[in-house]
Amino acid sequence: MSFLTPLFLALLALAVPIIVLYMLKLRRREVEVSSTLLWQMLLRDREANAPWQKLKRNLLLFVQLLLLTALVLALARPFFWVQAIATGTVVVVLDASASMRATDLVPNRFEAARVAVQQLIDGLPAESQMTLILAGHQPEVLASATSDKTVLREALSRAATFAGPANWEAALALAAGAVRLGPVDNATTVIVSDGGLPSGLPALPGEVRYLPIGRASDNLALIALALRPAEGGPQLFAKVANYGDAERSVIVSFYEGEQLFSAQQVTVAPGKTGDVILTELPEAPAVYEARLSVLGADGQAIDAFPLDDRAWTVYQPPSAGRALLVSPGNVFLEQVLTALPGLTPFRSLPGAPIPTDPFDLYVFDGVISGTLPAADLLLINPSSNALFTVGAAFTNTHSVSVRPNDPLTRYLDWDAVHILRAFETETPAWARTLVQAEGGPLVFAGEVGGRRVAVVMFDLHDSDLPLQVTYPILMANLINYLAPAENFSAPDGLRPGDTLTIRPSGGDAVIGIQDPTGARFATATTEAGVLFAETYELGVYTVLSNQSLLGSFAVNLFDPAESNIRPVDVIRVGRSDVVATVREEQGQLEIWPWVAGVAFVLLLLEWWLYQRGATLPSMPGWRGFFSRKKMAEK
Amino acid sequence: MLFDPKILRKLDRLALVASQVRAGVMKGERRSTKRGTSIEFADYRDYTRGDDLRRVDWNVYARLERPFIKLLEEEEDLAVHVLLDTSRSMDYGADDQHKLKYAQRLAAALSYIALVAGDRLTVSPLTPQRLTATDFFTARGRGQTLRLLKFLEGLSSGGLTEIDEALRAYAFAAKRPGLAFILTDLFSPSGYQTGLSHLLGRGYEVTLLHLLAPEELDPPLAGDLRLVDAETGHGQDITLDGGLRDLYRQRVLAWRSEVEAYCLKRRVHYLPITTDTPWDELVLYQLRQRRLVK
Repeated sequence: MSFLTPLFLALLALAVPIIVLYMLKLRRREVEVSSTLLWQMLLRDREANAPWQKLKRNLLLFVQLLLLTALVLALARPFFWVQAIATGTVVVVLDASASMRATDLVPNRFEAARVAVQQLIDGLPAESQMTLILAGHQPEVLASATSDKTVLREALSRAATFAGPANWEAALALAAGAVRLGPVDNATTVIVSDGGLPSGLPALPGEVRYLPIGRASDNLALIALALRPAEGGPQLFAKVANYGDAERSVIVSFYEGEQLFSAQQVTVAPGKTGDVILTELPEAPAVYEARLSVLGADGQAIDAFPLDDRAWTVYQPPSAGRALLVSPGNVFLEQVLTALPGLTPFRSLPGAPIPTDPFDLYVFDGVISGTLPAADLLLINPSSNALFTVGAAFTNTHSVSVRPNDPLTRYLDWDAVHILRAFETETPAWARTLVQAEGGPLVFAGEVGGRRVAVVMFDLHDSDLPLQVTYPILMANLINYLAPAENFSAPDGLRPGDTLTIRPSGGDAVIGIQDPTGARFATATTEAGVLFAETYELGVYTVLSNQSLLGSFAVNLFDPAESNIRPVDVIRVGRSDVVATVREEQGQLEIWPWVAGVAFVLLLLEWWLYQRGATLPSMPGWRGFFSRKKMAEK
Repeated sequence: MLFDPKILRKLDRLALVASQVRAGVMKGERRSTKRGTSIEFADYRDYTRGDDLRRVDWNVYARLERPFIKLLEEEEDLAVHVLLDTSRSMDYGADDQHKLKYAQRLAAALSYIALVAGDRLTVSPLTPQRLTATDFFTARGRGQTLRLLKFLEGLSSGGLTEIDEALRAYAFAAKRPGLAFILTDLFSPSGYQTGLSHLLGRGYEVTLLHLLAPEELDPPLAGDLRLVDAETGHGQDITLDGGLRDLYRQRVLAWRSEVEAYCLKRRVHYLPITTDTPWDELVLYQLRQRRLVK
């Protein structure tokens, strides 16, 4: 045992005044009694009966000296030399990816890793510094270049795993930065992980060590769950992978909501995958969940990684909006309406009666006769109508300005567009001008009377717009604004930490998103939609607006690198292979907290001893009464 | 005033009991083992020459024609000695439980009983010095009550008492042995046994009234103390905790038992008294129970 601050041992000299104080005669309170005869008899009895009384009288002194010794020892910071993994400038990168939740170690790999890092902190010599980096979705520096073990322990206790893959490149970039804070030749980066690092990681300055965590590789994982439309109803496709060393039979159960509707047994060879396909599912919107149950011969679960045993997918049947094109014949319009997804176009001639069957969208090309239907409208080259008046034609269609930052003008490039002539009008108060030429507005859109209206103030045949790339973009923007296909669209195959954009169509100012744990996020919508990045949990997220369900989306692990929990002995960082580390450096294990604990116990003992010697008898009251009564009986 | 007239009336009816009766000098109100001249009949015996003819029972002579002498009970007085420990150690205890005051009251009661019974009473403080006439009180007859009370009230505590020495001195000095009541706390470094033996040897019938204050049985003390002896001024350092206090209580009780055993062996009446016992209850009931008064 050695001491970090041995100078404090000089405080042991304080024992001298304590002993001197004891040697000085105790200042006693004088009390006159009728006679000391009995007291003298008593003391003679006691000393005759107990020769160790003298020792007992000095017990308090001994305890006080012990207390002083313990306090001084704690201040001197005693330590033992122990085998450590790293000293100097130490950067610990702690893997917080999903695979660290594997339960082959008790309670799981991450807790085992936490214990390993705790040991690194315990063995950190006084002059060494440690930086603690958590490699999760976004790497986080938990503690930066400190030798304060309390700070490090507190930081370590904050670390938590993430349900998806770790961002190793960013984590190692942070580690490289932390290493360069001090002298590089004395720096060590310790990667505490179960492997699963991607290839092509950048090299790290200083020495790199690897502390492997994990024991078993038994894991069956759902690595895909998808729906696809087919004849007779959508098909559900699930893929099961076996990352263990033995062939396993697994039951894949399918749920719609909480309702089990199918279960199939699949036998998967080691290192192989097995497929399950369910066909002719109902066309209704639904949330499907697949679960794996892997049981060994003795009924014990032999799957060390439960996180990838569940997967979810959301089925949203394609909605087919109906559009009526009232036109004498416009091939450009017909083509673009046919090409846009989620829209079924119908055509009618001008002057013909408008069908009573309501459509989602009416497209008028040219002259408008009769009253406008009470639905969303796209008006191309219109004549005067109930909504606005149209004036004479103008040819001053140059110097065009496109309204910026508007979803309807997104990706529009009007530079290459030439227009022969357009018709004058004033943009009504309910609309906003999207494309403005010198002579007047060319395109505007807005809401009036509970419907959305978009207007193009020129004949498509009088321009080269239909020949430009801008044309389908403009039409898609306008049609999406007028007749949105779905409430919102979320991409399939979302993984934890992915960001998605939600564009609610209903014009809600605020939407709420509830994650699988029940936590709710409320976000104000903008024209560009809502950017949602809190996809940290696996499961189904629901999107709500004014308490009505807009839709759902699923976040799944689906990551073979995480599901393959086989511990790795060698990782590759930069161009070198890093093998599992043995403890080879001399670390210091400080024991002052234990010594301080002993001092505290001694303090309590000293207090108790002192109190026991000075308790005042409670003569009045019932105790005194009983003691007198007892005496009388004797 | 040591006690009120009501108590006095109760005391009037009491008399001290002497189980080993001692011959008195004067005629008293007490039966004697000797035959005497009172009017109480005791026995008959044959007339012998020289007997006083006045004591022949002429009625019996008329019936039996033989002279018989009528023997009558002799009534005598009793010497009662009340010895009061007035050392500094008796100056202890709160208010009514003050040991000396308590002892004075008790001495007064016993003395009054003796006076009323016509016994010869001597009240004396326990001291080894030779006593002068004013230091002690000798009287006979009810009429001396006021003088007695005045004498007792005039006693004050002080000095050191070696009980042994004091009793021995008294035993030699007193002319007439009789009932001896010793009122003391027995706090005497040299002991009390030799003194008692001297009294017994001189033919006294001894009653030891052992007075202790409640605070002496269970001292309300704790902590680091220097106990100062009231008599000797001797200091005793002690660290008093709960355990030691328990030991002390046991020690006091053991001490009382030791004294009691010693007294029992020598036919000394022993009565341990705690001064929180009401003194009239002590006299009227406890002393009666012990057959010290009747």
